[in-house]
Amino acid sequence: MTDDHIVFIVDDDIRLREALTELLEAHGMRATAYGSANEYMQAEKPDLPASLVLDVELPDINGLDLQKQFADGDHPPIIFITGHGDIPSSVRAIKDGAVDFLTKPFSESDLIEAVRVGLAQDRRGRSERAGMKRLRDRHSTLTPREREVLPLVVSGLLNKQAAAELGISEVTLQLHRRNVMQKMAADSLADLVRMAEKLQIQVTHSRRIEGEE
Amino acid sequence: MATISVTCTDEKAALVVLRNRERELSYLVDMVPSHIWRLTPAGEPIFFNRRMIEFLGMDAADFDKPGTSRLESIAEIAVHPDDAKQFNDVLSGCLVSGENFAMRYRLRRSDGVYRWMSSRAEPVRDENGRISQWYGLCHDIEDQMCADELMRRNERQLRQLIDAVPALIWSTTPDGRPTYLNKRYTEVTGATLDDLMGPDGSPAPLAVAHPEDRPAAAGLRARAFETGGPYAVRYRQLRRDGSYHWTDTRALPLRNDAGAILQWYGVSVDIDDLVKAQEALQQSEQRLQQLVETLPAMIYCATPDGEPIYRSQQLREFLGINLEDLGEPGASGLGSTLEAVIHPDDLTAVKQRYSHSLATGEPYAQRHRLRRFDGQYRWVETRAATMRNSDDQIVQWNGICLDIEDEVRAQEKLRSAQESLARASQAASLAELSASIAHEVNQPLAAVVANSHACYRWLSIEPANLQRAKTTVERIIRDANSAAEVVSRIRALFKQTVEPRMTTTISSVIAEARNLMTDEASRRRMRLEIDVDGELPPVAFDRVQVQQVLINLIRNGMDAMETVTGDRVVGLRARRVKDVIETEISDFGQGVTSPDKIFDPFFTTKRNGMGMGLAICRSIVESHGGRLWAQNRPQGATFIFTLPIEAKTK
Repeated sequence: MTDDHIVFIVDDDIRLREALTELLEAHGMRATAYGSANEYMQAEKPDLPASLVLDVELPDINGLDLQKQFADGDHPPIIFITGHGDIPSSVRAIKDGAVDFLTKPFSESDLIEAVRVGLAQDRRGRSERAGMKRLRDRHSTLTPREREVLPLVVSGLLNKQAAAELGISEVTLQLHRRNVMQKMAADSLADLVRMAEKLQIQVTHSRRIEGEE
Repeated sequence: MATISVTCTDEKAALVVLRNRERELSYLVDMVPSHIWRLTPAGEPIFFNRRMIEFLGMDAADFDKPGTSRLESIAEIAVHPDDAKQFNDVLSGCLVSGENFAMRYRLRRSDGVYRWMSSRAEPVRDENGRISQWYGLCHDIEDQMCADELMRRNERQLRQLIDAVPALIWSTTPDGRPTYLNKRYTEVTGATLDDLMGPDGSPAPLAVAHPEDRPAAAGLRARAFETGGPYAVRYRQLRRDGSYHWTDTRALPLRNDAGAILQWYGVSVDIDDLVKAQEALQQSEQRLQQLVETLPAMIYCATPDGEPIYRSQQLREFLGINLEDLGEPGASGLGSTLEAVIHPDDLTAVKQRYSHSLATGEPYAQRHRLRRFDGQYRWVETRAATMRNSDDQIVQWNGICLDIEDEVRAQEKLRSAQESLARASQAASLAELSASIAHEVNQPLAAVVANSHACYRWLSIEPANLQRAKTTVERIIRDANSAAEVVSRIRALFKQTVEPRMTTTISSVIAEARNLMTDEASRRRMRLEIDVDGELPPVAFDRVQVQQVLINLIRNGMDAMETVTGDRVVGLRARRVKDVIETEISDFGQGVTSPDKIFDPFFTTKRNGMGMGLAICRSIVESHGGRLWAQNRPQGATFIFTLPIEAKTK
């Protein structure tokens, strides 16, 4: 059993909680079970990549409604399990981002596969979120002038054009550009362009259009 | 006459004349219907006339007695003992003074009867002025005295009567000046004649009337005195203690032969109690009337033969017709009255019932449609009963009529709702039941599958984890059995097969149920409180079924307390009551709104419930010869089921 992930189980039937915990542990996964949505929400949970195995028919809330509540914040990918699944519910769940929608009794492989997909999704998500955070942190170290220089540079304007745009000398612009590259830890212009895309920095100019004119 | 010169013959003749005259005089004295007597100046009687002698039965000389004067003797013998002393005193006084004697006294007749006499005597004096004789006259006034006495007595009696009569009696002059008030008048009102005179001396006979009643009374009085007609008035009259009592006053004038009014005579009678009683009666009648008129029901009265005589306002408004509109009572006939207001379809039944009641005096009760003023027929319930007098004869029929239209409509709606519900539930039951069964079986089955895979994994890894594999297998067995039990339970429900019954104690089943439910209870932040009598005898019952009943009832109790903020406790109590073991499951929820219906199949108060739980529970308990029922407590509900103890011998 490894400590780099966790699987949460929410089901009101203790027999299923026991069985699912057992099965996941037999597959070398770490699992924690809760009897109700409320119990799950209130619990202290480790900050690890996770999957949530969620029963649709819970005593306090319908699992699908719980999923809606999660939609706002970060949450582990959800694998729904249900006693009597119907197509509209499963479609709704998948559309809202569920990993899978399993009808009891479900096969071991379906469950384990879904949990693994969920964990991978969460890992990816978490690393993406971490990368974004790094980018934002770096971006926040830029001076106001450097933040003006960045969109002009990633637009592909020549130094001369960008300097003219800002009304500064080409030398000064080159200095700002070097600082931006350093602070954003960009290996190349292409790298910086990708970062700007992720940060959703508005590209205000296009070199090609300007060049053609 | 003494101057006539006489001759011998003349003398003779004169003598004869004189004798004749003397005889005549003597005869006169004797025959006058009075007693005449003469006394010496010293008062010695020396002559009684014949009438007196005959009256007394004695002549003057007959009264001579040694040692006393004749006068004293007469006073002693002939004058009434009560008058004798005064007689002596007065007469002796007159003899001394020479004044005339006058006195009334009773004198004894010869037969011993005393009769009143009026006696007078005057002295005759000689030329020297000395008294020579006393001449007395005495006549019988007995009859006059009796008449006077009678009159006096009559008058006294009349006065006593006037004073004793429990009425205030008074009289006035023709112009209204009070002249007499009887004693009671003053005793009762405290007013004297003076009080009925104004300060300016004008009569104020209404000074005793209540100020508010005075103007009206004065008007009546003035009119009566003006016209000489009878005076009759009611007013509140002053009492000695300052209170006022209702009084009835009447007066009539007394007229002389010429028709002129001499006097007014009046009487005032205290009618306060009567007036108060009348007022109270009126008030009570008014209240009753108001009660009848304002009751939210239609009320009517009818004669013993059914003719309507009274209808309350509610009924009048409902029908929109008054009794008067029906014309002369009886003319319209009861039949046509009923025909006018009762729905044609109900008419025959109503007439039948009505005439039956009228004929037998039995209470009348009937539901029928009654025509409202706007022509709409509304369902009413009419009930009537007889009112009888002390001879048990029917005096009147009193009836009440309630508008039950809304009730009837609601019942109809309820009935149709129930029918459609029954149809819907019949149609839906199989699908719902199968879905429910699938869920019940799926849960343990899903656990079995997951545990099996886990077990396989534990055995597959190197080295195999036998401990955990064993745990999972135990769970597989448990859950598989659980699924199998559900299946057999359902089979039992539908096939009504009799399961083999084990003799066991209810306490062990309750303990199992608690173990199964404790986890769920704490998760739902609830508690289970168990109170089982340790001495309970073992009973033969289907363990699984009874456990199912227990779990179902416990879970129901928990569901009932889902929204409760206070103490969330499900209480389990088992004890022996006579020949049964009674198990109570109580909660602190909202209680049960329909304790009768909750056991009906497909009756549910839960959003996702199927309404089968309690129906199954009841059929299980009843198949064991017990009973299951629900009752509400001040807070929450209690479900109780019994299991008979003798069942073990069967």
